[in-house]
Amino acid sequence: MPTSSDEFAIRAEGLGKQYKIFGGSSGADTMVDVMAKSAKAIATLGRSRPKKQSFWALKDVSFDIRQGENVGVLGLNGAGKSTLLKVLSRITDPTTGRARINGRMGSLLEVGTGFHAELTGRENIFLYGAILGMGRAEIARKFDAIVDFAEIGEFINTPVKRYSSGMYVRLAFSVAAHLEPDILLLDEVLAVGDITFQRKCLDFAKDLQRRDATILFVSHNMFSIKSMCDRVIYLRQGQVQFDGPTAKGIEIYEADCRLASVSWAKAAGITNPDETPIVITDVALLDEAGEPASVYEHGQRLRLRLDYEVRGPVDDPNFILAFVRSDGVSCCCYNTKMDGVQISTRPGAGRLELVTPPLSLISELYKIEILVRERGFGKLVCGQLGGSFHVSHPLLDMHFGVFHEPGVWTQGEQRAAARPQNIGAVA
Amino acid sequence: MTTMDAAAPALAPASKQRPSIEIRPSKGWAGLNLREIWRSRELLYFIVLRELKIRYKQAVIGVGWAIIQPLLAALIFTVIFGMFAKMPTGGIPYPLFAYAAILPWTFFAEAVRRASVGLVSDAELIRKVYFPRLIVPLAMVTAPLADFAAGLIVLLGMFFWYGVTPTPYIVLLPVFMAVAYALALSIGLWLGPLSVRYRDVMHTLPFLIQIWLYASPVAYPSTIVPERWRLIYSLNPMVGVVEGFRWALLGTPQPDFRAMGISVVVIAVALATGLAYFRKMERSFADVI
Repeated sequence: MPTSSDEFAIRAEGLGKQYKIFGGSSGADTMVDVMAKSAKAIATLGRSRPKKQSFWALKDVSFDIRQGENVGVLGLNGAGKSTLLKVLSRITDPTTGRARINGRMGSLLEVGTGFHAELTGRENIFLYGAILGMGRAEIARKFDAIVDFAEIGEFINTPVKRYSSGMYVRLAFSVAAHLEPDILLLDEVLAVGDITFQRKCLDFAKDLQRRDATILFVSHNMFSIKSMCDRVIYLRQGQVQFDGPTAKGIEIYEADCRLASVSWAKAAGITNPDETPIVITDVALLDEAGEPASVYEHGQRLRLRLDYEVRGPVDDPNFILAFVRSDGVSCCCYNTKMDGVQISTRPGAGRLELVTPPLSLISELYKIEILVRERGFGKLVCGQLGGSFHVSHPLLDMHFGVFHEPGVWTQGEQRAAARPQNIGAVA
Repeated sequence: MTTMDAAAPALAPASKQRPSIEIRPSKGWAGLNLREIWRSRELLYFIVLRELKIRYKQAVIGVGWAIIQPLLAALIFTVIFGMFAKMPTGGIPYPLFAYAAILPWTFFAEAVRRASVGLVSDAELIRKVYFPRLIVPLAMVTAPLADFAAGLIVLLGMFFWYGVTPTPYIVLLPVFMAVAYALALSIGLWLGPLSVRYRDVMHTLPFLIQIWLYASPVAYPSTIVPERWRLIYSLNPMVGVVEGFRWALLGTPQPDFRAMGISVVVIAVALATGLAYFRKMERSFADVI
């Protein structure tokens, strides 16, 4: 469907971003390196040029986003989500293609980077506001509202280095929130902060939504994507794999997510995640009766079926299933070693099934990490994602901590209050 | 969200005319886009303000350092070049002779240093937020003007102390400052992007500035330079600036305006190419910094 030029907020046409990797070194070359390279290049002139590796973080990305539309951006780690936001917010330029942005753009990519620790809250409001693109008069006009919203009070004239991290983030966020953008780029993954802050982010985004702002929203939390967006763009290896209704996009994304390698596998010593000695080939989330499930009532049991293959030499494998909450907190894990289960190391296929105790986790989204370590908790030989599930309960949210279990209470004999005239004040 | 609601009426007129931005790959020499810089003048103001505020925070003497530093330099020069080496000053008290030159020199050295490393010290900002990058070198060259102004007040005190009256040419000081400013900015425009790519610049810079100091008539009069080298020597734009300061303030022989004319042309070229170079490089700052 063609849109007239003033109707779209963002129009991307064939956006591409290529990054060059210089021989594995970490970017900060020195002139000596360059001179050495040039000397080598001259010495080998006409024969073999030193190969400059490059990869496309984004490739041929095109889409139109209408004014007032809320679009989720999905993708595994490294799929190009952050690069896309960086290009659209003009932090870095594209290698190919073009994009047009109609409207004032605000981004909550990393809140508070413009702050200077030595300056007071007041000084930082003006500095950060100006960095985000507000004029002095505009900041002055919104100043009181910013301070109120941040709940900073009398600390406004204190250097922000004396702030608690909560106050710091609140103030920075408050400045960003008062930019009142027409278009908001929101990266929930990068918008560091505790869960209450993330909630505040979402509330703010929803408030903008009501004002008919355009929102481009990157998140790993399908729950917030579902509640915010009617359309998703799913990126795979820098390319648009799907662009359409949220439900369908999430389906494709989750299918891709299943059994993908955990993001920290490389750091844990797995050089090639496709060739681990043990590979999980299938995973199924079931209820106690063995029916497929993705939402569990608090107190229900979860049944998880794993199919795996032993493909290489492995020493006394320990299968670990970790439940990681949407804010990255690893809440609990079950492992075969401590439960006294011996796994065969003979090459070939195998199947494992876990039935958890009644789930005492609070109402949230959890993803499952399937890990295999040698000899108890030694070397990691497999790390894959096993999908995600929700625990639901009408009351228990993060204010209740990680899990909830009933306690055993006893009540002593009720004694009469010593000073009855104070009861009213206490109540 | 009551605060947001309170701000709502103000949103309405602003959203009437929405800005429109085109994002394209940076191929060749990008346009200057001075309009964007002009629109960001308040950001420039706040970054200059930040530079001034953080420089002397948590220091007991605070802003006093802006005055003490050039004074100390003048003191050292007075002892070594005035008392020991007995530099000819044409009858002017050596402290005044040195200080009148240290003032523009300190501004220049500080402006070059900060403009060259400014992008790197604001790396975090450049990686995370978009703003016209040209604001950084501009702010870094502008901020030391405040120290210069503080130093001027001390100079007035010295005039009073030594009973010397400046010449009427003092009105030309802004011209010499403009030359120093433009020179510092053009160097910053070249070295800033270079130091984003190669940190070596930051290590080399102190030596360059040191050498430049001795290649300029700060501690000595340019008359001690042999006649046949004088023209080449005068092509160093800071020679004209420093001599100009002394001439306007103390009535020393006037600087070689012919050589200064040449260096102004050179600075203009360096500034123009520096701007183009900076615009070309800035699009990749976030990727390499």
